[in-house]
Amino acid sequence: MAALLEIKNLHAKVGNKEILKGLNLVIEAGEVHAIMGPNGCGKSTLSAVITGHPSYVVTEGKVLFKGKDLLKMTPDERANAGVFLAFQHPIELPGVGLAQFLKTALNAKRKFEGKESMDAVAFMKYMNVRATALGISNEMLKRPVNVGFSGGEKKRLETFQMAMLEPDFCILDEMDSGLDVDALKVVGQGVSVMRDAKRSFMIITHHDDLLQYVKPDKVSIMRDGVIIKTAGAELVKEVEASGYDKF
Amino acid sequence: MTNSNPFLIHAQDQVVVKNPDEKSWVFEVGKNGNLWVDFLQMTDDLDVLVSLQGEAAKCKINCAYLTNKNNNLNINIKVLHKHKKTTSEQYIRGIVTDESAVSFKGIIEIPKSSQKCDGRQHHRGLILSPKAKIEATPQLEIWADDVICSHGSAVGPLDQNQMFYLQTRGIPENEARKILLSSFLGDLMPDEFSDTIQKWMDENA
Ligand SMILES: Nc1ncnc2c1ncn2[C@@H]1O[C@H](COP(=O)(O)OP(=O)(O)OP(=O)(O)O)[C@@H](O)[C@H]1O
Ligand SMILES: [Mg+2]
Repeated sequence: MAALLEIKNLHAKVGNKEILKGLNLVIEAGEVHAIMGPNGCGKSTLSAVITGHPSYVVTEGKVLFKGKDLLKMTPDERANAGVFLAFQHPIELPGVGLAQFLKTALNAKRKFEGKESMDAVAFMKYMNVRATALGISNEMLKRPVNVGFSGGEKKRLETFQMAMLEPDFCILDEMDSGLDVDALKVVGQGVSVMRDAKRSFMIITHHDDLLQYVKPDKVSIMRDGVIIKTAGAELVKEVEASGYDKF
Repeated sequence: MTNSNPFLIHAQDQVVVKNPDEKSWVFEVGKNGNLWVDFLQMTDDLDVLVSLQGEAAKCKINCAYLTNKNNNLNINIKVLHKHKKTTSEQYIRGIVTDESAVSFKGIIEIPKSSQKCDGRQHHRGLILSPKAKIEATPQLEIWADDVICSHGSAVGPLDQNQMFYLQTRGIPENEARKILLSSFLGDLMPDEFSDTIQKWMDENA
């Protein structure tokens, strides 16, 4: 069976600056793959390129998702094909209520899949179960997306959006930064219940906080725009103990 | 047919309204009077003068402009704080696309004798196409010293990161744009104008 995500010799730049410099990465269906690497090595750039941010230009290489050329798709097509990014820095949408936003997103996906829109009652039920599990209050659902939320709350809301959209491939970009112990537990459990034989995760992180809840199958070290080493979960301990310099 | 330049007067206590032609309005607000009016401009110029001429008179002017094709609009709003303790608010938001152009001029004038006035004017514009233009000239003529005055103007394109965020949630580009455009207008305009605005969004977002 083909890998869920296959990245071959990916080069990407922002402005005139090349950031990804021939990156290779394979993630199988059902795999949890952690990516670790020093600040500025291009981890967020990689997630932006996979999801199709217009500021990042791919100059060479391929990204295949479920065997299809992801780079030819628009960001919304990629999302509806099953790619989800939990942002390192979630974007604020003043004036756009969270619940309405999620209803629009969910129904856009259903439309893409040829399904009927979910009606208001069904949607409320669907949303409330997931909100409760992640400690998202009614009051939070009514507020505009990400506006005025604390850093930790924003991360929780990203996890909640992921639970709502049930994507096949979840990129978590530093989901565990800035979370207190309790929030980490909520997010960790939220992610771990979504783990199944088909769904894959790419977890970008600097420590093993989140990985304790979601044990990775593989860990890759990224430096200066390329993946330089891939191994099993034991690599996390090595990084935590002695940093990136030895790689 | 929906009117392409509707207006709605919500409140007019102690107000003398003069409307010499379709595009021009003069409102004279007397002592303790109150004016609240909304304008939506899509094809025509607008020229508004509010004169707050009795003590504690107040006004609120909301104006939205939505322009397309090669429409070229001049929007002038002037509030004259003729008497002391008068207050004014102007909220102006506009979206321009295609090759349309809007020139917005907003004036707050507070003469020396009009102490303890409060004048506010906020303008925000969104430019959706490279050939569309907004020229904003806020003008403050404040001669009294014991007043509160605030103004601001910001004009720019749609935020690319907001567009991207919506799209990463599976929302197609033109729907994402509509969401951001309606949140940009927020509740500035009354429900009475919703159909007109919605129609414009459907055709131009
Ligand atoms: N839009 C941009 N404009 C200019 N430079 C950028 C842009 N995006 C990324 N960069 C640069 O590219 C490099 C990689 O950034 P990126 O955000 O991908 O790093 P990262 O590995 O995610 O780091 P961190 O661990 O701090 O989150 C950095 O030097 C950054 O300054
Ligand atoms: Mg980053």
